[in-house]
Amino acid sequence: MLAPLEELTGLGAEMAHTANAAGVRLIWRTQVRSSKWTVVRQGRVESTAAATLSGHGAQVVTTDGHVALASRDDFEPEHARTLLDRVIATAGRGRRLGLQTADAVAFERLTGREIPADPAAFAAVDLGRVSRRLIELEKEIAGRVAGPNLSVSFRSELDAWRIFRDDGSDVFFAMPRCVLGLRATGSGDGGRHGVSATLFSPDPGMPFDDEQVELFLRRAEQSAQLATVLPDAPAHPAGSFPLVIDYALAKGLAHEAFGHASEADGFRSSILAESGRFKVGETVGPDTISIIDEPVAGDHAWQPFSANGIRRERAVIVRNGRLCDALSDPWSAGSGGVRLTGSGRAESYRSAPQPRMTNIRIESSEPLEAAGRFEDYGPGEVRELLASAGIFRRHPKVVYLSGYSGGQVNTAGGDFVFQCKAIYDLDERGVTLYKPAIFSGSMFGALQSVREAFGPLVLDAIGYCGKWGQQVPSSGGSHYFLVLEPHASVGLGGRE
Amino acid sequence: MKLEPILAAIESVAVDGVTVDRWQVHGSESRQLSLGIKDRETGNAHAPLSLAEASSAHYLLVWSDGLVCRGTLERHQDPRDAFGAARATAYEDKDAAHVLGPAEFPEVELYDEDTAAMTGGQTDRIAERLEWVREAIDAANSRTWSGSFSASTAETRMRTSAGLDVQSRGTSYGWFVSVNGEAGDGFSARRPESADAFKARLEHLMQTATLVAEDVAPLPAGIHTVLLHPRVVENYVLGTLMQNLDGSAVAHDESAFDRSGFQSGRASLRKGIGLSIDPLQPYRGGSYRFTGFGLPAAICTYIEDGRLVQPILNVKYARRLDLKPTPVPFGNDTVRFGTASRLSYDAALEHTDVEVLSVLGVHTQDRISGDFSLSAPLALAVAGGSPAGRLRGTISGNLWETLRSDDLQFVDVPHETTPGMRFPCRFDSQ
Repeated sequence: MLAPLEELTGLGAEMAHTANAAGVRLIWRTQVRSSKWTVVRQGRVESTAAATLSGHGAQVVTTDGHVALASRDDFEPEHARTLLDRVIATAGRGRRLGLQTADAVAFERLTGREIPADPAAFAAVDLGRVSRRLIELEKEIAGRVAGPNLSVSFRSELDAWRIFRDDGSDVFFAMPRCVLGLRATGSGDGGRHGVSATLFSPDPGMPFDDEQVELFLRRAEQSAQLATVLPDAPAHPAGSFPLVIDYALAKGLAHEAFGHASEADGFRSSILAESGRFKVGETVGPDTISIIDEPVAGDHAWQPFSANGIRRERAVIVRNGRLCDALSDPWSAGSGGVRLTGSGRAESYRSAPQPRMTNIRIESSEPLEAAGRFEDYGPGEVRELLASAGIFRRHPKVVYLSGYSGGQVNTAGGDFVFQCKAIYDLDERGVTLYKPAIFSGSMFGALQSVREAFGPLVLDAIGYCGKWGQQVPSSGGSHYFLVLEPHASVGLGGRE
Repeated sequence: MKLEPILAAIESVAVDGVTVDRWQVHGSESRQLSLGIKDRETGNAHAPLSLAEASSAHYLLVWSDGLVCRGTLERHQDPRDAFGAARATAYEDKDAAHVLGPAEFPEVELYDEDTAAMTGGQTDRIAERLEWVREAIDAANSRTWSGSFSASTAETRMRTSAGLDVQSRGTSYGWFVSVNGEAGDGFSARRPESADAFKARLEHLMQTATLVAEDVAPLPAGIHTVLLHPRVVENYVLGTLMQNLDGSAVAHDESAFDRSGFQSGRASLRKGIGLSIDPLQPYRGGSYRFTGFGLPAAICTYIEDGRLVQPILNVKYARRLDLKPTPVPFGNDTVRFGTASRLSYDAALEHTDVEVLSVLGVHTQDRISGDFSLSAPLALAVAGGSPAGRLRGTISGNLWETLRSDDLQFVDVPHETTPGMRFPCRFDSQ
């Protein structure tokens, strides 16, 4: 699976030599991504497929700072040489188009290799066997929750990159990703409603790992139950409320609200920057709260090196309520006034890397205890947790937003939005379910209003981020639950 | 990509005595040039001038034991090895085990020499239009702008074991500009629009950017008459309708529209509302000669006079629903949506409170229930029939109720092929 990249040592050196001879900087990205997936519905296989994405992209920077990128979907040496000549010539004509000249901070020569997974295990994934296993799991879920239409899926992927530079750097890494997924669609008098659940593992054997399967079934069961009751649930009123959000929504808040605004390539318009420079030291939240982004081993968004061949570093975006680090790459760190964190990521060899998040979390320095596993907490248990902490003495009713269904942000204005899977009103009397609604508003208002955190950190809320049209895996989390005070600039969209 | 070596591999491949009975291969070869602009910086390291070459072939194999497999062959792969490996992914799916035969394919104008020249490095037109954008931005004293220009050319050929053999050649061109990270507009088609059309759209964008720079007092929370801009209609309304019309969703009861709705003739939307495509129009972005499963392009109606006519069906789901395959939508500029009678934009504004220019969170909505709750950070208050300044808020409601409502009106909006939609809707200012 990795052989095509292993064989590029000589060609990588030759490409670097050619770039040096032409007097340009070169980052040569080569990639092989191998994926397999299967979907089952109603006791039969709906589709299976195996695919690879492979090729190379040569990004050059001329002596006067013009940049160009060219890509091709093979590793033929002759074509690679031709492509490099072409992209050097194209970059050299940059002045005619009024292209910006790039100004990069210095980055050191690096040789590295991180391949934590066994490529053979990915190659050996037997989709027929996996499909039969998914049919068993679908049957198990249907036995636990009658009614909804179910679809169960599995995807395994090994995404391998080898990056060469003109300075002799040679960085080789492979990112293993496997996801078990469920989609449940329930029907009622009020129409239909769909709810999803996922579980990530770097191990392609996860459909046969009892512990993983048990956790997936637990999540799947909760989603299937929700799908049966949501179609007939009422819509929640709009407005600002005291809120409790789970770790997946907290990941959404960190990612959409603060993560994107701290990406240094956007500092000429980001609300977290002024005159193109990050507002380091500015207070944006309570002093108990920090927001941290870093690659986490065994995680969906783990990436040890940037797509520019630089080691990815931990970035404390908010430290005890104040802005600290930005997510930067060589072309944004200097102008943004921040240190280089090696945050450049790209969807594929065809794309230009940009500063992006990996695993982002909101962390409290004073979390309150929440015993057991996160999956032990249904809305009733969350209500008990809040009651035991005396939250209802402060607010007779708290709105619980459960599950994350994606989000979006405008970094220029600081407006964020994300969607939950369900809303529950919690009070001393009990729990009332409502349909999901958008949670939106000002990023500053949202972070400032975080008051309590319950439980240990859980960082496995996964998704994909689509910045600038490039999809890359994202993930993150927080403590089990965060309590947010009502804030005028943050609200729930509703129907009444 | 040449198909002959692939077809030879299909003819000769055998895995444990199982050979290929039926097949479909769809090869394509493309070149693209693109250029990004981030915060006034044209072609910087994060949005560089990019050239891309790609070649691949999508295939469907039906093996002699009835199992099927699908996949994509990359340029560098040995077809025999790839098909041997693909055999391990084969599964039973009687509905998917069919390929189409020869048919009459329409000639559709999809290829433009000037656009093809751009992909080869002829960048004069892009340079000229970039300059017009820079001049407009400077004239308006705008703080910053971002955007992109792209051009591509592709040749495709499809062959099947049933005798289908058809080719197509097309180009694509597009641009997008956003001002101050907020107001944005763009264009995409098979060839560039005229210089006058480009300048007119750009001028309109700059006027909008000026309007949204001025905040006005929030509206009281509640129901207001809201006009969704065509981009919002395309992004949310058409996106939701297409997902629910998808044959897979209908077949699996994962659509708001059940199978019986397509046969009963009962109205699912308000009388008069239609949804159809015309992929035969010359040089439109959504035009094509044949679908990815080999069906000739043709005008196709999915909803007529509020009644469901047919789902969007490929061969597999057509068989599963016992219907015929249909042409598929490929771009919004070939979609016809709404009622025959429409309000003019000026007339519509006379009785509009808020025009919603863009929304956040479309991908987070539940597409089946139709419940929507969207952030609208870019909206215009309308007073006395004219846009008066910027509002921020959320809109919420239910799309299916809206599309059944007698209060819904479709609006012709200048420069747009998709109509706007005006209807009473909850708007909560922020």
